[in-house]
Amino acid sequence: MRDRRLPMTVIGGFLGAGKTTLINQLLRQPQGQRLMVLVNDFGAINIDAALIESAGADMLSLTNGCVCCTMGGDLFMAIADVLDRHPRPDHLLVEASGVADPQKIANAAVAEPEMRNGGIVSVIDGENGSALLDDPQIADQVRGQISCANLIYVSKGKPGTEFLTTLKEIVPNAGFAHTAAEVTAFTELGQDLSVRVEKNAPHPAYVQWSATDDAQFDAKGLRQALMNRPTGILRIKGFVRGAGATGWLVQGVGRSIDITSIPQPQETQLLAIGLKENLNTENCHTWWRDALRRHDELSLED
Amino acid sequence: MNKVTLFQARRIVTMDAFQPHATHVAVQNGKIVAVGDAQCADRWGQDVVRDDRLRDAVLMPGFVEGHAHLMAGGIWRYTYVGYHDRIDPDSRAWPGLTSALEVTDRLRAQHSLLPAEQPLVAWGFDPVFLKGERLNRHHLDQVSPDRPIAVLFSNLHLMCVNSAALALVGYGIETLVEGVVKDADDFPTGELQEMAAMFPLMRRLGVDFRNLAQTEDSLHAFGRLAVQAGVTTMTDLFSTLTDDDLTLMQDVTSAQDYPLRIVPVLGATGGLPEEIAARVKTLAEHNSDKLRFGAVKLLTDGSIQGWTARVRAPGYVGGQPNGLWNIPPAQIHDLCDVMQREGIQMHLHANGDEASEVCIDAIEAALRKHPAPVDHRHVIQHGQMMDEAQFRRCAELGMVVNLFANHLWYFGDQHVALTIGDERANRMDACRSALDSGLVLAIHSDAPVTPLGPLFTAWCAVNRQTMTGRVLGQEQRLTVAEALYALTLGAAKTLKMEHEVGSITVGKIADFAVLGKDPEQVAPEALCDIPVLGTVASGKVFLT
Ligand SMILES: [Zn+2]
Repeated sequence: MRDRRLPMTVIGGFLGAGKTTLINQLLRQPQGQRLMVLVNDFGAINIDAALIESAGADMLSLTNGCVCCTMGGDLFMAIADVLDRHPRPDHLLVEASGVADPQKIANAAVAEPEMRNGGIVSVIDGENGSALLDDPQIADQVRGQISCANLIYVSKGKPGTEFLTTLKEIVPNAGFAHTAAEVTAFTELGQDLSVRVEKNAPHPAYVQWSATDDAQFDAKGLRQALMNRPTGILRIKGFVRGAGATGWLVQGVGRSIDITSIPQPQETQLLAIGLKENLNTENCHTWWRDALRRHDELSLED
Repeated sequence: MNKVTLFQARRIVTMDAFQPHATHVAVQNGKIVAVGDAQCADRWGQDVVRDDRLRDAVLMPGFVEGHAHLMAGGIWRYTYVGYHDRIDPDSRAWPGLTSALEVTDRLRAQHSLLPAEQPLVAWGFDPVFLKGERLNRHHLDQVSPDRPIAVLFSNLHLMCVNSAALALVGYGIETLVEGVVKDADDFPTGELQEMAAMFPLMRRLGVDFRNLAQTEDSLHAFGRLAVQAGVTTMTDLFSTLTDDDLTLMQDVTSAQDYPLRIVPVLGATGGLPEEIAARVKTLAEHNSDKLRFGAVKLLTDGSIQGWTARVRAPGYVGGQPNGLWNIPPAQIHDLCDVMQREGIQMHLHANGDEASEVCIDAIEAALRKHPAPVDHRHVIQHGQMMDEAQFRRCAELGMVVNLFANHLWYFGDQHVALTIGDERANRMDACRSALDSGLVLAIHSDAPVTPLGPLFTAWCAVNRQTMTGRVLGQEQRLTVAEALYALTLGAAKTLKMEHEVGSITVGKIADFAVLGKDPEQVAPEALCDIPVLGTVASGKVFLT
């Protein structure tokens, strides 16, 4: 079973944080998916000639299937254009402008029925980023960009302990990534919803947890259960059996969760990933076991 | 040699200090060759054609609108449902609507005219001014339960839609989306806030803001609006300007009967400062009589009424957090540095006084590094909260200002009550202080944010009255003569075009505003009631 909605991940971060460098690296990663990237400044995209299949005035096609485009004057309409492309890419990355609130962009993927929220990666300059938070003219805007992140990608060096503490205060549940491969692992938790194919080990920085059973939920109960999921889970996906002919497709990133009705699946399958340092899969087991038990009790009361 | 045309008028207000008034002006090849009385063209030989069409009118130099947007023309493809009276590019009057009921009445009338498959889209709605229940899907469902209807708010950040439109996206009781406003029963009210919630509907209705600016229709509508307002030179003050846009603008404006000189100012976005500078230089190679490239626009902060302008202490009176930078201070410095070095004029949008302060700082720093060009004439646009100290610094640095006089009328009451309070609202758009500091001053409409109409803009700067009749800081009033100067030579100077337009002077382009009354002879309170009969652009007559 596939989720046909286009996932969109927003790459946020203040001017000079290193978003373009990250995007350059992401484009070069070996891709299991056709990635499309919308960037502000086309000139800054710097790809080895050997990787370029074709280049136009505002579009670059790579041999690994990735496409990079400028967004022009209107980001949202550029996203609409991507949705109208045939074939659609497998995943859309949007480079937020250096002053944009990434959440306001990510909300579009929540609103648009043909898309799903692929999360927010905020890029932070490990060396100079903390100075931005001390500048009264821009601190609030920078703080806003960090506070909505699901994953913080640290560019240029390592943040000091004090900076790290501040970051964790601003966004307690975000994971930290240090390589482009770790960002790819976050965005790439595939379109394919069958949990079994993902049984192979995730990127070494991540751990994953999965469950397969015949648990049944109504939408409200499922939402409640998923709201209580361990905070270290960065992405969760799968399908869950409902009543009668209807089941549920689950897509969660950070603390947001999307539940859509689908034809009743054979069994309930969930897969979650999180960064090793933040996620203890034991907690996932406990959480899911408790969720099932609580749900059974509620069902008995009805 | 081409013929000379002698226009006769009831009176000509030239704005040229050496010859302030006349009755006749002679034109050849689109340029002024003589100004004076009935004999002024005699020395140009016998081959003078007399044109009496304007003999009952008062002529002024064609007005120069130094801050408007092309969208002012294109937005009229949708139905106007705003609170204020407006006139569309085809000279049709659209009375302002004062209640949700009046809005639905107008929509119903439009609904009956539209083909079945077309959605009904309206614009200009502003609930701030309306009493009674807030517009919601129930009102719009009464217009049509089947045809999707979308009412865009005047700020373009919100819309209200009917049930058929909600159904197009699938917004319903299950929807949990930020910006999809819900009622007590958890059903969407029809109001959608911010682009993320609006865009799924916009793409299904084919509403694309990009198509409101650079299209043939928009350019022609922009030209017709200009004729109605007496404007012959107008900026598009944040152009995107792709190669296709350039070709289109060249095609449209090169036609003999295009009535407007457009000054498209490239938005400084989407590239390094050096790349933007290079782009604007390339564009300037394509300059023609009716198309003038060469400047860039920096959009530094947001708007005061949206609480997104960057303001200095004590900030907003409601305790709202300070606004947002569209370009952060460090980047403003980088851009100013490169543009000054490259000799490119900048228009810097700065509404709040922290934003204007940062702009002035950045230009001062750039000038220390790159003193030439001396006559850079960088413009602070809006500059709504600038005080005397900032104006004095601008004057010393060779900057000029274009203040948003229309705001006093449209948003003045809100500024007193909701944004910055009466002390600072009283000295908003401080035209008097700007002139007293020795600055070149223009005043503007920011159309379509407020309607294009230089005489109304002058009225605002002269009377400083709000919609409720309150006078905001009468000490800041301009005289009529000063306001008329701001519409003509003042604005021309902010575009570095005063050697070509802005006064009726021999050698300049024959651009005139054709008026029904003499602005120098009506009461200052009546400036806004002067009928505009049309324009003469490059010697060609356009009557409304
Ligand atoms: Zn503007």
